[in-house]
Amino acid sequence: MTHLSMDQLLAVRDGDRSEPHFGEAHVHVLACAACRQEVDSLHQRTARLRAMPMLAPSRDHFGAISARWRTAVRQRRMRTLSTVGVAAAAMLLLSVVGTDLLQPPALDAEQQLATSITRSQELEAELHEWNPEQRIVDGRTAQLVIVIENRIADVDGRLQDAARLEQQARLERQVELWRERVGLMNALVDVHVTKASNVDL
Amino acid sequence: MTVLSSADTDAMVARAKQGDPAALEALYRAYGTSVYNLARRICRTSEDAEDVLQETFFEVCRSIRTFRGDGSVWGWIRSVASSKALMRLRRNKYRATDELDDEIAPARQTSPALRMDLETALARLSDTARAVVWLHDVEGYTHEEIAAQMGRTPSFSKSQLARAHQRLRVWLGDAVLN
Repeated sequence: MTHLSMDQLLAVRDGDRSEPHFGEAHVHVLACAACRQEVDSLHQRTARLRAMPMLAPSRDHFGAISARWRTAVRQRRMRTLSTVGVAAAAMLLLSVVGTDLLQPPALDAEQQLATSITRSQELEAELHEWNPEQRIVDGRTAQLVIVIENRIADVDGRLQDAARLEQQARLERQVELWRERVGLMNALVDVHVTKASNVDL
Repeated sequence: MTVLSSADTDAMVARAKQGDPAALEALYRAYGTSVYNLARRICRTSEDAEDVLQETFFEVCRSIRTFRGDGSVWGWIRSVASSKALMRLRRNKYRATDELDDEIAPARQTSPALRMDLETALARLSDTARAVVWLHDVEGYTHEEIAAQMGRTPSFSKSQLARAHQRLRVWLGDAVLN
C-alpha cells in the first residue's frame, strides 16, 4: 500500500481542500491505520508546540522604546515647526503688505503674532542648546515631557489647519495658537531645566 | 498575555491613539511578553528577539493612529511582530546555515540515538522552516498570509511546513511510517 506524503497528511490534518487529491487522501486515512496514526501524531505535535513554555525578555524594554519614540516625535515636531514657521512668516508678511495697501492694519494682532512666533523660536533654540537628548531624566519626567511634546505637536497641527482660514479669522486663530505654543514651550523648558537642577543638587 | 476586557482594550487603544504614554505602556505590558515569545521562537538568538520586541513596540507607538480597529489589537501587533521577526531573519542572512542544516538532516534521520526534545528539534530547523512551523501551527496564520509576509508563494510555505514536519517526526522519534 502506498502511504500518504507529508503534504497530504498535513492537508488532511488542516482540512485543506485546496490540496490536489484531498478527497482521496481523506478516504485513505480512514482506511489506513498507519496514516491515521501519522495524522494523530501531527495533531499531538502541534498541541505540544502550542504548549511550549512562554519565554520572557531578560529586561524591561519600555524605557528604551519610549525614549526612542520621544526623540522621533521631537524630530517630527521640529520638521513641522520649520514648515509652519515659514508659512506663518509668509502669511504675516503678506498680511502686513496687504493691509498697508488696502485698509488700516490690525497691527495689534499682527504684533502679538510676531512676538509669539519670535518667543517660541527663542525657546526652541534655548531647548536645542540645552540638548535634552544627552541628559538623563527619571520616568515621571520623561512621561511629562512626552505629554507636553504631544500637545505641542497638536498645536502645530492646528496651526497648519488655521492657515486655511479666511484672513481675519486666520490671524486671530494664529495669535491664539502661537500663544498656546509659547506657554507649552515654556513648560517644556522648565521641566528640562528644573529636573537638571535637581540632579545638580 | 494579560487578559483585558474588550471595553478596557478599546479604551486603552483610544488613549494610545491620542499619544497617551500610559496607554502605550499598558499595551507593552499587556502584549510585550507574547511579542517576545513569538520573536524568540522565530529568531535564532534572544538578542535578536529583544531587538524585534523593541522594533515592534516602536512601530506600535508610531503607527497606532493608523490602526483601524477592524480586527483585534493583538492581531495587529502580532502581524507587526512577525513581520519584524521575518525581516530580522532576512537581514541576518542565515541562508548558509539553512543549507548546512538541509545537508546534515538526512544523516541525523538515521540515528535513533539523536532523538531530541521539542525545544532542541525546533531550534535545529532552518530559520525559514522554523518560522513557517511557528506561524502556521502555533499562531494560526494561513499559508497565504505567511507567503505574503515572506514575499514567497503559498506553495513555498506549504512545502517548508511539510519538510519541517518530516524532520521533526524523525528527530522527535514519533515517526509511524518509514
